[in-house]
Amino acid sequence: MTAPAAPPDPAAPSPSPSPSASWVNRVFSTDHKVIGKQFLFLGLTFLAVGGVMAMLIRWQLARPGQPVPLVGRLLFPGAGGVISPAAYTSLFTMHGTIMIFFAVTPILIGGFGNFCLPLLIGTRDMAFPRLNMLSFWTMAAATATLTASFFVPLGAAASGWTAYATLSTAIGAPGAGQTMWTVAIYFNGVSTVMGAINYITTVVRLRAPGMTWFRLPLTVWGFFLTSILNALFVPVIAAAMVLLFFDRVFGTQFFIAGSTIRAGGDPILYQHMFWLFGHPEVYILILPAWGIVSDLLSFFARKPAFGYRVTVWALIGVVVLSCVVYGHHMFTTGMSPLLGESFMVLTMIISVPTSLLFLNWLGTLWRGAARMRTPMLFCVGLVFTFGIGGLTGLYLADIVADQYLHDTYFVVGHFHLIMAAALLLASFAAVYFWFPKMFGRMMSEGLGKLHFWPTFLALNVVFGGQLLIGWAGMQRRLYDPSAYEFLAHLLPWNVWISRAAYVLGAAQLVFVVNFFVSLRWGKPAPANPWEVGTLEWTLPSPPPHHNFDVIPTVVRGPHELGHPDALARGKDWLGQDEVLS
Amino acid sequence: MSNDASATRLNGAVGMAVFLGACAMLFAALLFAYAVVRSQASAWPPPGTPPFPRGAAASNGLLLIAAGFALRRAGTRGPKWAAVSLGLGALFLLMQAGLWGRLVAGHLGPGTGALGDVFFALSAFHALHVLGGLVAIALLLRSRASADARPRRLRLAILYMDFVAVV
Repeated sequence: MTAPAAPPDPAAPSPSPSPSASWVNRVFSTDHKVIGKQFLFLGLTFLAVGGVMAMLIRWQLARPGQPVPLVGRLLFPGAGGVISPAAYTSLFTMHGTIMIFFAVTPILIGGFGNFCLPLLIGTRDMAFPRLNMLSFWTMAAATATLTASFFVPLGAAASGWTAYATLSTAIGAPGAGQTMWTVAIYFNGVSTVMGAINYITTVVRLRAPGMTWFRLPLTVWGFFLTSILNALFVPVIAAAMVLLFFDRVFGTQFFIAGSTIRAGGDPILYQHMFWLFGHPEVYILILPAWGIVSDLLSFFARKPAFGYRVTVWALIGVVVLSCVVYGHHMFTTGMSPLLGESFMVLTMIISVPTSLLFLNWLGTLWRGAARMRTPMLFCVGLVFTFGIGGLTGLYLADIVADQYLHDTYFVVGHFHLIMAAALLLASFAAVYFWFPKMFGRMMSEGLGKLHFWPTFLALNVVFGGQLLIGWAGMQRRLYDPSAYEFLAHLLPWNVWISRAAYVLGAAQLVFVVNFFVSLRWGKPAPANPWEVGTLEWTLPSPPPHHNFDVIPTVVRGPHELGHPDALARGKDWLGQDEVLS
Repeated sequence: MSNDASATRLNGAVGMAVFLGACAMLFAALLFAYAVVRSQASAWPPPGTPPFPRGAAASNGLLLIAAGFALRRAGTRGPKWAAVSLGLGALFLLMQAGLWGRLVAGHLGPGTGALGDVFFALSAFHALHVLGGLVAIALLLRSRASADARPRRLRLAILYMDFVAVV
């Protein structure tokens, strides 16, 4: 593997115009660092919105039909503060939509992808800064559309975050809310593809001299591979949204079965198109998290990442396999047994590279001189929850087990352990780790740990509890499970899961306080507070507009910790561009 | 060509390759949907469907191919050929709009049957992509970019217009 053919001119200015006093220039900035922060703030805001919705859902499951305290009459005035069945359906639909498309995606991919990529590979900005700005504002437009959908007659979308046809067609979901949902997801996808074009081109073309593929930080590998999946599969859901839009607005029947008098489409077609995107989407979101955690475990264990190359090939293996496993979401649709078995085997095989990744994390931690700072706590927490989440995925990959577990809370618990717990823990690890570089101030370690422990414990109780009640047969999306005799005995379980959820929600207030207090009053951050060697830490905190005065020349990998040459110099790390004399 | 210009050209080429890959997946998904709808029908076109004017649709397609050729000429014969390409592309859109009008009047619009559904959804979405290409050509004509940048942008526009013509 070699460095890029035409390295950037070391003396070239930043491609993005310098910030001026004009607020227009600041808001419509083309600087990747500003855009990264814009994505981060957008994502955190919607994380809070989606989180509040989760609390409301948990209230209904623990106290079915009782008025929501404090905010109930404000949010549900027509029902005396009680969450109606229609409102509940809309709540879990929008909770899932917001969390996946408008919280985790902007935080991890938009926020940290934008902020970190150019800094980590040693360049001054993205390959296409204006496209980058357009990507953010397209996401903002999608967000505005989704938000506006709450205020239209019949309310926001209510067909689940998967929007299965025919629930999501005009037959199942009349009103403009579902149509606006379709438009919002389409533009969210447009924004994501714009980002993917930029990330791929930037990594392929703008790596600093000496930054070979196998010297890239694993964070960069995560974002790069995610971008490939984004470019390939987000267009598939965009196509589904186009056809759903046509079905809803122009009366076409792509996702509505035909009849003897009119040829039509097939509701299962929607599921194929959705999951062809939807399963890679799991990896789209988790790959950056895996990359970040692989780097941070090494940094805080003060050891080189165990099996760096194996990790890279495992990530590539996951990307390849993720393209051919989506059918396991559709075992109960009556697919051919041969096809089902193929999807089952392929899904099981994906656990091989994933296990390699997991073992490499353990290898990195093994006998490390771990510094249990806040980012490290969140990373170790991720290793644990991802382990449980991944193992429970094997049950759902098995056709026989899936026939029973399909559409139960076991599925909800499984994907929340991956898509919520692991991704949130990775997002928080990233915030605590790069906050000093982003804002020039340190976050409070004490508050960070106070944030971590209740978060980690509560989310395992919540999502672990969901696994148990799902195993006991509780189906998802029921307005009041206790109304069914065979599920009534699970009400106390739901009460305890909800209590843990409230603890989880309350713990995030500690993060909010820590974030904003540190932003204003945090201790000024030194250039390299974590004592690690990747390129962003060679810059002041926060970095100047143009990032690097001179483009660095990279001479080694990202994880040179505990290196004898470093120890001889009285430290335990070497910078990627540090020349030893 | 300077090193910087060469590097920027390659950046554009990589970016356009990824973009066209994404567009190809988008249209592949739409064509997959068409294949499924077609496979659900007892015959194609479904019985009772009014006749589809294949000749008009094909001649519109020829306009788009001609627009692509004109844009190629702009590289060697000057920007007036880009203007010709823009005109041909605009004519394609006008002719498509006319065709849609006739189809709706002839009870072959969206919502009237499987053939109308497929044709309108795919051709309307395709037309939006053509419109995007025409905006890019118009911007190219108005651009005051450097002598290095213009041919680079023209090459990217040609690639894109070739793609929408193939689709």
